[in-house]
Amino acid sequence: MKRLPMLLMACLLAGLVLTACGGRGKLEKAVRTVLVSGDTTRASYDSLCSLVTANPGKYADLLTPEGKIDHKRMAEFIEGIASALRPPMHWDTRPYGGVEDLSLTVYFERSGSMVPYDQRGGGGQLKKAVNDLINHFPAGSKVDINIVNDGIYPYQHTVDEFLKDRDIYQSTAGIGDASYTDFQLIFNKILEAQRPGNVSVLVSDLIYSPKDTRGVSLEKIFNEENSLATRVFAKYKGKSVVVQQFMGDYSGKYYPYNGVPFEYNGKRPFYLVIIGDNESIDQLASDKRYAGVLDPAGMRNSYRFNQGTSEVQCNVLPDWKDNAGRFRIRHSDGIVLNKCDGDRQTGKLCFTVAANLGGLLKDEALLTDAASYDVESIDGYTLTVQPIDQSMVTNNNKSYLDGMTHLLTLTGDLKSPRDEVHISLRNELPAWVNQSSSSSDTSTGGSFATTTLGLEQLLGGMFDAMKGGKNIFEVTIKLQR
Amino acid sequence: MKHLTYLIIGIAVTVLFFILSCTDGFNIYELMYYHQGFNDAMFNLDMYPVIAAITILVAWGGAAIYYYAINSVKFDRWYHWLAIMGVVAVLAPVICYIYNDSVFANNNMSYIGESVAFEMQTVLFAALLYVVASYSMRWWSSNCRHTPLPQ
Repeated sequence: MKRLPMLLMACLLAGLVLTACGGRGKLEKAVRTVLVSGDTTRASYDSLCSLVTANPGKYADLLTPEGKIDHKRMAEFIEGIASALRPPMHWDTRPYGGVEDLSLTVYFERSGSMVPYDQRGGGGQLKKAVNDLINHFPAGSKVDINIVNDGIYPYQHTVDEFLKDRDIYQSTAGIGDASYTDFQLIFNKILEAQRPGNVSVLVSDLIYSPKDTRGVSLEKIFNEENSLATRVFAKYKGKSVVVQQFMGDYSGKYYPYNGVPFEYNGKRPFYLVIIGDNESIDQLASDKRYAGVLDPAGMRNSYRFNQGTSEVQCNVLPDWKDNAGRFRIRHSDGIVLNKCDGDRQTGKLCFTVAANLGGLLKDEALLTDAASYDVESIDGYTLTVQPIDQSMVTNNNKSYLDGMTHLLTLTGDLKSPRDEVHISLRNELPAWVNQSSSSSDTSTGGSFATTTLGLEQLLGGMFDAMKGGKNIFEVTIKLQR
Repeated sequence: MKHLTYLIIGIAVTVLFFILSCTDGFNIYELMYYHQGFNDAMFNLDMYPVIAAITILVAWGGAAIYYYAINSVKFDRWYHWLAIMGVVAVLAPVICYIYNDSVFANNNMSYIGESVAFEMQTVLFAALLYVVASYSMRWWSSNCRHTPLPQ
């Protein structure tokens, strides 16, 4: 009986030491350290896996019956820890965990007006864009190449030969009828042939040039183009399309819609149209191995057409130079700021939300233009948007900015005891589509070098087919005094 | 039996303090001092349990040393007990600060001002836990069982 007090005290101290130092386990501590330090690399993942394999008894639930890492369970384990952090984090470990690579099918347009993009004297931007696209897929990915014009024809050589080919149009001469491009057939075939895990890319000038347009009014051609695009893409649900615009040297004959070709030497836009299931395009956006595919060198503009409203990861920055007034971030579902207090001098509350808008695949001009957003609140909060650059990231704010692309700063007079600031990015075609579209291509004057005939009608048709909702993304921030 | 009840209550209070220092939603450390970035980093780097454990160990250790190691009639006055409390109230935050600083440094973070302000509450918690520990264990001390207040 006399020893009981000592025994109880010893138990308390031993329990304390064990809980504080070893309770959560070495693996969980290691995962936390990786996430907080932002060192979410393959090397870090491998070191976590080696911790698991070194203690098969302790981490049996993370191993397959054969004693190998169960990457799915490992991802769930990491996600469980990441989502409980402040702010909740996310680490996409799929690329390291035996997830099948996406396959690539290239559809290389070989119409008359495409040949001048790859002349020996030119800069070769078109071929470089296609080569880069292929090279940005991990080594070992399945790559197929097709030539398209009036139909789809398999490229008869290897991918390596394609990459080395200095005159691709010369080596593919005679394939199909280069006098017109049947987009209806091509898009239908691409969408029909596509299987899960496949990404199809059409390399084209996106000029709608159907057979025999002599005497047909341009308005009629545009209407036909618009409804064709809508019809084709509306038929296939669950698809996402990314259109990337590039500029390339053009040297040779240009074939305008009225059928009187003329010589042109200068710049011209061309496009990569990336088509895949929503999941495949999401994987392209989130899997770092494919980072170069959606952000290639030389890309001028891009836009993702898809269905539905996207989820966007957001973190409120506790310490930021623009912050005014005081607030406390409540750790709960959704974003809630409580104990809000306006600035002592101005009465204004200003806070900044870091958001990952990269996955939306919209062009920077659209994302950083506050006019593209709708902001609703009782106290009339206003929004400014700026991209995050590396100079903004410090060790102290890294866990809030890691993986984020833009800062949304909201300012308002704090008057109401409770308010809800609702931010939404309107789903509409970006300005560059209209700016890059022309209604005549009969002469080289004006904006001929930077515009494509009927681009707005073609992309507008695709937009109508795939427009899921009113907004691309929405986020609500609750404010409480 | 009465003395054993004191001990059990003391242990229960200490365990409750430890639990409340580790939780996310209601965290005893965040009630008194809150600086968003600093506290989030403390939570993410799992420092609260270690800080709480250090505070408890120093407080209970200080009381154990006073009642069972020093345990002398020469040092059985209330101000001797208070002097040990002072040592505990200084030692605990200093050790916690060194620990905090080393973890932040390992993660290339810097929260010096915030850490100093945060450790002010460790002074308070250490002193309170020292009182709890004293009333839990004083009864079995041969020479100091009447310190700080005879009962």
